[in-house]
Order: sequence, then structure tokens, then C-alpha cells
Amino acid sequence: MLRGIVGKDQVVSQILSCNLKQVDIRGISTSATLLKHVQAARYKTSKKGDKPLTYEMSGPPHTIAHIKSWNSWNTCNMLDGLRPSETAVEDEFIRRFLRGTWHNLFLSEIIIKRQHNIIRIGGIVERAIHPRKIYFLIGYTEELLSFWLQCPVKLELQTVESKKDVVFRYI
Amino acid sequence: MNVAKLLKFSRCSPLHFSPSYSHSSFRLQHATGTSSNPQEADKFQEDEFRVFVIPGKNSVTEKRQERRKLKFKAQPPRYLKMPVDQDWTSVWPGPRTFHPAVVPLPLRQGYDKKRVAQGKFGNAELMKVPNFLHLTPPAIKKHCDAIRKFCTPWPQGLETEMQMEKHFPITVITSDYCHSSPTIRDIKARIVTIKLKLSTLELDDHARDKFLRLVGDRYNPKTDVLTIVTDRCPMKKQNYDYCMYVLTALFHESWTFEEWEKEKSTLDMEYYEWKDHPSYQTYLKLKAYPSQDTSNIEQEIGQDPLTQKYSKAVTDLFNQGEDVYTLARYKEATLELLLGQKTS
Repeated sequence: MLRGIVGKDQVVSQILSCNLKQVDIRGISTSATLLKHVQAARYKTSKKGDKPLTYEMSGPPHTIAHIKSWNSWNTCNMLDGLRPSETAVEDEFIRRFLRGTWHNLFLSEIIIKRQHNIIRIGGIVERAIHPRKIYFLIGYTEELLSFWLQCPVKLELQTVESKKDVVFRYI
Repeated sequence: MNVAKLLKFSRCSPLHFSPSYSHSSFRLQHATGTSSNPQEADKFQEDEFRVFVIPGKNSVTEKRQERRKLKFKAQPPRYLKMPVDQDWTSVWPGPRTFHPAVVPLPLRQGYDKKRVAQGKFGNAELMKVPNFLHLTPPAIKKHCDAIRKFCTPWPQGLETEMQMEKHFPITVITSDYCHSSPTIRDIKARIVTIKLKLSTLELDDHARDKFLRLVGDRYNPKTDVLTIVTDRCPMKKQNYDYCMYVLTALFHESWTFEEWEKEKSTLDMEYYEWKDHPSYQTYLKLKAYPSQDTSNIEQEIGQDPLTQKYSKAVTDLFNQGEDVYTLARYKEATLELLLGQKTS
């Protein structure tokens, strides 16, 4: 626009002659951002409106600590907390291991709570396999995770009849 | 030959994989597999025309077999069988994630705009929050009773804060840190702080002055508390030992009188001492008038309230600086001294 009014040479000479402060100010955009299309951790509505959501899924991330709470409970990310990165990696490892070991059985997010060196893993499991197998899986998971993480691991699960028991709403 | 036939067949096969196609394919393979005669295989093929499959048009007879879902019945919730007067501490002895079938409380958790909040069954929110169901008052009472045998009676003569300060003048402050992680090491645990009142140390004027110069801003003149913080050694024990060493060294160092300390004159003093200044001599002369001998009255006026008042007024004037109050007090004391009258 400036170029349209005055000649090119004049623009160059203007830029060269203006002081540093003016040049700095030119780069700043002061318009407010409109966060209209945030997609992360939000679920799209289905055509028929029959997509089931759990309570956890129905709340977007900013509702954590307002209407839903965290899935990992530890003190590592507090001020002067120890080994935050190790804890995050371990939590992710535990989640992946459980998703694979308890295939298609966990209906909720896997809740990992740490107290001193004890790791408590909670969650809601569907009663789709024989109770004997569930007992085996509990022992297997606790044993292997204790061995890998070198600390006591406890699995504290709750079972429900079907997936419908944990559905909060349909979208 | 057989392979060639198969290839030919597959080449002309319909694009879409369908049940009918797989059926004929099976037969073909069966035929080629069992009979070595190629003519027989041709015969099979001629028996049935291949069906042209239009996806979506022809009815699909074979449905994908659904995974059989097994339903396992669970026992009714445990809380229904519990007696009302049961011992809750044996039901929930330690910290544990919430379980709806065990806790006999009609709990709800969650936020819903239109409906009432979710019940306790299948509610992950209740499992997330830490609960204190293992810390009921009877449970705490049981714990206390169990560890009571390890307790010793409180020592005699240490009932009040005054007595504690008298017998244990040094307060040692250390911290232990508990994290929710497998490590028990925390570098902050090495820091040791000791506190003591300076009045508990035996120091004369010189030693006290020297002590305060050595400790610097570690001494709080308002509360008379000396605070020493050590964190230079890696272990708590080492830091504690270092604290004690520093305190001992400070005490003995402040009592030593070096040769060069005698060179300190009145002008080097950091505060105003009335008795070292000519003002004191003038005051003595004034008091002793008409006699010239001031040595006699020096003992007498030490107890005199007027002298003490004047002394304090002059000292404050120099030590605290000139302001309205110190000047007013100085004026008052001077007038009282010279004219023997009280001004208000």
C-alpha cells in the first residue's frame, strides 16, 4: 500500500532512514486470535447422534479440575518435583502395556496414582472374559510391571456389565 | 497346467471379493488338489456358471461371524451383605482406590447440566480422587493404640517453652521430603538450619560486638535470634557437624582479643558510647561543681535516674539520628539537668 503511493526508491530510503524503534514496532500484530477450531481432545458429533461418550471423553481438557480430574496423580510436576520426565514416560508405558494386555477390556481411561513408591492403577473393566482370566491378568500385570518399574504396583479395578454402563451421553 | 488354470481363473475373477467367488474357488482348488486329471477339473467348471456379483445388489448370505460376547454374572454388591455395626477398619484397612461395591454410601460424582450427577457404579471420577476411607477416626485410634507402646513419657521439667529454651537453647531445623515417586533422595534434605538466642551465649561487650560483626546479617536484633543455614555438604549429618563447628569457632573467635584491636579509637566506634566521649566528663564536672574532683561522684550518679535519662537521650540522639522525638527528649533531659525543671 505504501508502495502504491510513493515510489520504490522512496520506500527504501524511508526504511533506511527510520530508526530502529519504528522497525521493531512494525512486526507486532495486535489482533486477538479467535480460537474457533480447536480440535484436540474433542469429539465430533455423529450424523445419527449415537456416538457414545464416557464422562471423561465428554469434557474437553479445560474442564480438568473443574468437572473432571486428572488421570495421573503424582507430585512430580509440582515445584521442585523429582523425575517428572521419567514419570511421564513410565505412565505412558503402563497405559500402553495395559491397553495391550487387557485388550478391548478397559472402558475408562487408565488412572495411575502414585504414593511414595507405590503405583496404584485404577480403571473400569468390562466383564467380557472369565473371572479366572481376569484374576490371572491382574497378577500377571502386577508382577511384570513391578519387575520393570522396580516398585510395588497394585491394580485396583472395577468391573461393569457392558460398555453401556459407562456411557455418559451420546453425541 | 493346474497353476496356469488357477492364474487364468484369478485373472478373470470379479473385482470384488464375494462369498460366491470364494465358494467356487474352493471347489476348484479341491478339484485340482485331488484329481490329477485336468479334464475332470474342466468338467467341474462347466457344471456351474460363475455368478456375476454386483456389490450391494446380490444378497449376501454369509455374514461375518460376530465375536461371541460372553456375559459373566457378578455377585451382588458386597455392601448389601454387610451388617450395620461391622468393623469398617477391617473392611478398608489401607489406602485403596474407591470401589462402589464395598463402600455402603450413596455417593455421586460428576457434573451434568440436565440430569442428576452420576452414581457410584462405573464412575471413574470417584476412582481418581484420593479418598480417606482408611483414615476414619476409629482407624486412627487403632493406629495410635498400636504405636503407644513405643512412646516414652515427656521428660520432667520441660513442660513450658521457657524451660525448653533454657535447657535446649539451640533449635535444629531439618526437612525430610516425601515424593510420590520411587526415589527417597532429595537434595533439599541436606540443608540444616540452627537457631539460638544470642543471650544464651556468654559474651562480654567486646566479644558480643565481634560476634555480631562476624555473623553479619544472620543475627536478627529485633528477636535476638541467630540463624545459621548450611547447605554446602552433600549430607545432612555433615551439614549439622559443620553448623556446630561454625558456632564453636564463632564463639571462641569472638572471645580472642587480638593486638590490633587495641588500635580502635572512639572515632572508629560504630555506635555512640556516652562514657567514652567528652560529654561525659563535662557532665561529671557539672555535677561535681564546685569541687574539681569528679572521681567521687562517679559511683553516685551511676544510679541517678536523671543521669540515666540524660545518658539515654544523648546516646539515642547520636545512635538513632536527629529527629523530632530524639531532639525533644534531649531538650527535656538537658533542661531538667540544668534548670531542674520538668517540661511537658
